This record gives sequence, C-alpha cells and structure tokens, in this order.
Amino acid sequence: MSDEVAPRTGRGPDTADRKRLTFWGALSSWTPYRVVVGLATASPRRQFLILAAFPLLWVLTQHLGPMLQMLRVSFTDAYPVAPGVEQHFTLDNYARFFGDYIFWQPFFRTLTFAGVFTFCTLILTYPVAYFLARHVSRKNQMLMLLLLLIPFWVGEIVRTYAIMILLGNTGAVNQLLKSLSLIDRPIPFMYTSFSMGVGIVYLTALYMLLPLYSALEKLPKSYNEAAADLGASAWTRFRRVTLPLTLEGISSGCTLVFLISTGFYATPVLLGGPSTTVFAETIAGFFHVAGDEWPTGAAFATIMFLAAIVLTGAFQKLMNSLRKGDRN
Amino acid sequence: MNRGNRILLSCVYWAFVLYVFVPLVLMILMGFKDSKFIGFPIRSWTLDWYTGVFDDAAVPSAFIYSVVIAVLATVISVIVGTWIAVLLEGRKFLGRTAMFGLTVLPALVPGIISAIAFRIYARWLGIEPGMGAIVWAHAVHNVPFVALVVMARLSTLPKSQIEAARDLGADPIIAFLRITLPYLVPAILGASIFCLLLSFDDFVRSFFLGGYEPTLPVLIFAKLRSGMSPEINAIATVALILTAAIGIWAERFTRRMNKESRND
Repeated sequence: MSDEVAPRTGRGPDTADRKRLTFWGALSSWTPYRVVVGLATASPRRQFLILAAFPLLWVLTQHLGPMLQMLRVSFTDAYPVAPGVEQHFTLDNYARFFGDYIFWQPFFRTLTFAGVFTFCTLILTYPVAYFLARHVSRKNQMLMLLLLLIPFWVGEIVRTYAIMILLGNTGAVNQLLKSLSLIDRPIPFMYTSFSMGVGIVYLTALYMLLPLYSALEKLPKSYNEAAADLGASAWTRFRRVTLPLTLEGISSGCTLVFLISTGFYATPVLLGGPSTTVFAETIAGFFHVAGDEWPTGAAFATIMFLAAIVLTGAFQKLMNSLRKGDRN
Repeated sequence: MNRGNRILLSCVYWAFVLYVFVPLVLMILMGFKDSKFIGFPIRSWTLDWYTGVFDDAAVPSAFIYSVVIAVLATVISVIVGTWIAVLLEGRKFLGRTAMFGLTVLPALVPGIISAIAFRIYARWLGIEPGMGAIVWAHAVHNVPFVALVVMARLSTLPKSQIEAARDLGADPIIAFLRITLPYLVPAILGASIFCLLLSFDDFVRSFFLGGYEPTLPVLIFAKLRSGMSPEINAIATVALILTAAIGIWAERFTRRMNKESRND
C-alpha cells in the first residue's frame, strides 16, 4: 500500500527510504498482522478497551495498590505476618497516635513547619517570578529562568550538604560575620528549625517559582496599564489586579510545596536537631526496628497523608472562593 | 517610580541567584581544601580528595549502581507513561477524571509516605529489598511526569495528520508508529532525561527499598552521618557536575527539537 505512495516524492526514494517503506508495506500486508489488527480494531469500542486495559491495570495495581495496602496494614496487629501467627484487625495503631504526646507533637510540628516554610517560599519567589515575567525581555526570560534551573538539577542530599557547609559553626556565614567583627562567637544556626527552614526552602523554591512564573506570564500587561490609566497606584494595582489574577498559580505552587515539605526525611535528619524532630523521622523509626512495628508506621503514614490531603484541599477551596469572590 | 521598582526587583532576582548558587559553590570549593576539617577559611588547596574518590571502591560501584537503576526505571516509566498519555489525551470516556487523578497520584504523595507505601507493597508482592525494588519504586514514581509531558505534546499534534494517514490506508497501529510516535520524540526524550535525573538523585525511596548495596545519594547520606569530610565534597561535586550538565544539555536539546518540529 505504502509502496504506491512513495514514488510521488519526485526524484524517487533513496534506498534507505525504500527499505523502510517496504518494511511498513510488508508489515501491513503480512497476514498474521492483518488478522490481529483486524480483530483488535474491529469496533471503536474494542479498540478502546485494548488501549485502556493496560493503563487501567497499571494505575490500579501500581499507583493505588501501595496506598491501599498501606491502609490495610495500618489496621492489622502484625505485619509482615510470621508463619503460624494469626493476623487480627485492630484500631490500636491509630489509638497509639492519639494516646501519646511524643507522637502528635512532631505531627503538628511537621504541619506547622510545612505551612511556615511554604509561606516563606512564596514570599521569596513571588518577586523573582514577577521580575522575570514582567521586567525581562522574552529572549532573556528563558536564559534567566534556565540559570535558576541549574542548581535544581542537583540532588536533595547534595544540596542539603551544601546548606550544612553554609551554616555550620565554621561555615561561610559565621566566618563572614566574624571577619566583619559583627560577632565574637559563631551563631549556632545548625540543628535548629532555622537551618531546616533554609534547607527546605532551598529545596522547594523551584516548585513555587515555576507555577508563579507561568501565572504571571499569562497575565496581559494591558490590565495593569488600564488600572494605571484609571488612577490606581502601584500598590493598588498589585493588590487589586496582579495578585487576584495569579491566585491560581499561588494556589498550585503552595499545594505542591506543602506536600513536598511534609515528605522530607533526609533534610530534617541532617539539618535538624532533637528539638525539631519531624513526623517523617517518627514514621521511619517504626521501619528500622523489628517487623511488628510496621502496622503502627503504616497507620502514622496514613494519618500524615490524610492530614496533608485535607489541609491542601481546604486551602484550594479557600483560594477558589477568593477567586470567585473577586470576580463578583 | 516604575524604574525604581524595576531596579529593586532585579536586585531581588540577583540575590535569589546568589542564594541558589552560593551554597553549591562553597561546597565545591571545600572539596579542594587541604585539611580534614570542613570550615572556612581555606588556606591551602589540594586535589587529593578527588584522587581518593576513585581509590575507594564503594564510590564508583555506588555510582554505577545508581546509573543502572535510573536507566531501567526510566525505560519502564517512559513506556507506561506514554501509553497512559495516549489513552488520556483528547479522549472523552467515563472515569477519565478518576483515571487522570490516579495517574498523577504518585507524584503528589509526600516522599516519606510514598517510600513507606512502596516498602509495604514490595513486601506483600514478595520483592526483596534491593535493585528490583528500587527500580520498581522509581518507575512508578516517575510515570506521572512522563504522562504529563507527553500529554502536553500530544495535545499540539494536528488531528489532520492522523486522518490523512488513515485515509491513505494506514491502520491505527501503523498510524501511531509512523505519525504520533515520531511527533512525540522530543517530549519522550525530555521526559526520559528528567526521569533519569529524578531517579539518580532520589534518596528516600532508595533508602527504604535498598538492600545492602547503597545508591550514590544513600552512600553520601551514610558518610554524612558519620561526619563531614572534604571527601564527601569531592563525591558530591562529581555527582553535581554530572547531573547539572545533563540537565542543561537536555534543556537545550528539547528546546531545539521543539523549535525544529514547529518549523516543519
């Protein structure tokens, strides 16, 4: 079939082209292939089912499966099950969380930290995104954005280590302050919520910057000009025009950064101290010891996930109602 | 007024550039310090830490281990992610929203929770901790990124091209292989490199699903827990240069390919 189409190209196909065409031609006239394709594409319905079967199976067993299995294990009294032992269903693992201060303290600390760090990331990156989208020519925009992307190709552990070197007692910041004779003794930045915050903001800034940038970039400049013509001051223009119209970018950036911040394990371990234990460390603790602690770990991870989903869901609802309220 | 704003904002931008680059530059410099103690000032310089990296057999083997895992995981996520994208893009069917939600789920689950869930599931499936388990977890985690990138590209494919192919007698499979797939190549390559880097840099999943052999980030983490040393700086710098170089190259490469196909 395809062979008949080929010579129309004028000078005639070169040998490589001819080979490829004969391959496709041969394939489509090869009887077993035609039978299979004929069967598979007999009706649009059957064609769709064949296309959809594998993805559906994959997302159910690989994407949803682990979460459901975690949920199931969280209601059992022992996992992995030792041979000869019967497994019982129980709510004890959840009761354990609410019964002990040492569990829900890191839990609320994690959510508070994640919220505060998300807000810091937003405050830090909004002016950067605004500058890129509004004050830079299109050609330089890509270059200047790429410049910021480079460090973000570097892994979590390496960047955490870089922050350790920056903030240590003999680190760059302390040495700089010392040489300016602003301090005599080094400030203990490390192993506090401050060092953890610097690290987490450092790791998540890009996930905030990109949604903000694309929201600001889509916003027509004429809106601001119109507001200016009507006599709005720069601050009013920002508050009444730019900010409301970029709420969507703010909402998705914050959601992303919040979810990522709650999930960090290595960064709090390396940058935090005993007074900043986060829930990820609590959860991980149940997996380092003997197997019968797994159900508790699973229950705690489930609680964490539900809390994160409920909070981000509520936040998105709030942002949506703000957006709608503004339109009226 | 506007001019003042502009200058202020450009200062903020360059301050931000400093914030993201300075820690990494300091970390690189520290790898050349001729002393065991991490800290400033650096008085004398050496290359010994770099030559030491290759003497310690654990580092090259962790490096190769990480690369093999990243490649295997990427192959799986690219095939599955592309398949899901082809199903979801431009098609209306019952449960499409649910299917889309399930597709992006692994990307939204916070790191520690995803690692725990994968660990429990791997145990249930009977996969031992080690390479197989890490490859599987990375592959599942990366599928959403491939699916999103490929869907974005697929949405710009002119429907007329497929229709023309079908009119000329191509069956759906040949039309896919000869029209859709070549059109998707830039997106697939871009997504592959993104997945390679995600997997190579991943710590939390590799940590919880790994056996005795560490991946590179897990090795660096273990070394950091037993104390900071310029040796770690040398290892981290090699990893940093490699990932950043691949990232920059991929960025340029995909942009060029996108431009070329737009000109066609």
